[in-house]
Amino acid sequence: MFGLSNPQRFMAFTGPLTPVLWAVAAVLLAVGTWLSFSVPADYQQGDTVRIMFVHVPAAVWGLGAYSALGVSSFFALVFRHALADAAARAAALPGAAFTALALFTGSLWGQPMWGTWWVWDARLTSVLVLFLFYLGYMALRASIDDEQKGARAAAVLGLVGLINLPIVKFSVDWWNTLHQPASFLTPGSSGLDPVYLPPFLTMLAAYGVLFAALWLTAIRTEIRRRRVLTLRARKALEA
Amino acid sequence: MLDLDMTPYAAFVWPAWGVSALVLAALIVRAVIASRKWKRELERLEAEDAPPPQATLDAAPRADGPQVVRSTIGPKE
Repeated sequence: MFGLSNPQRFMAFTGPLTPVLWAVAAVLLAVGTWLSFSVPADYQQGDTVRIMFVHVPAAVWGLGAYSALGVSSFFALVFRHALADAAARAAALPGAAFTALALFTGSLWGQPMWGTWWVWDARLTSVLVLFLFYLGYMALRASIDDEQKGARAAAVLGLVGLINLPIVKFSVDWWNTLHQPASFLTPGSSGLDPVYLPPFLTMLAAYGVLFAALWLTAIRTEIRRRRVLTLRARKALEA
Repeated sequence: MLDLDMTPYAAFVWPAWGVSALVLAALIVRAVIASRKWKRELERLEAEDAPPPQATLDAAPRADGPQVVRSTIGPKE
């Protein structure tokens, strides 16, 4: 595992793996979409239950992507590891997009079920804060000309944002929220009708594999970009 | 069988799925375009960097080579 922290070994290992991930993600997304529109409408929520199949995976992997960003930021800060920094940077955009989708689709689910697009309860607000951490991370990196200084500043922000993850996860337990408590992955107490499990789990896996494909591709791109910058700098010195 | 009649919630279900599909597609297209762009650029620079076949035999390591290469993290592809 730690051998992969060497960029050359990382490129050699992920070269054949990345296309496989893209293919698996495409198949899972296609099957998940088909399953999502094959199940019957919920007796209480009607067809809005189908929003769950895009809302929950986006929210789960928005959190997962930030975990990847935060842990990578830790290794980048403590060990000054360039590949860890590339991994943190690569997780930011897909994570921000997934979190934005979770907020948007949640709003579309909330209006017909709760009668409101938005409410400042703990879960919704903490997810909005998560999205703002993503934006802050990307903005900070982009705003500092010196890439290394920008990377370190952003890594500190990325680490601070990790505090928000348990708040998002447990907000529905710690406070009274309009958002429902966790009901899918709680052992023995799944509130989800078994008929919805196949599309739900397939879409959850699809988003996960898609994130992995996007992340690895972005890390590989970042490694190449830095190599190009190094070669350009060397040529400029030689000229 | 597929059930595509979302009445009376079509105004909520289709935008949720449509925007999700658009955003995921945009992420994929962006990732692929960026990947191809930097791969092409790296291949071009490394092709320029490669010494001609005859020079390879005579090439001696440069003691005063630029130190910037030490910071590289990318593989030679």
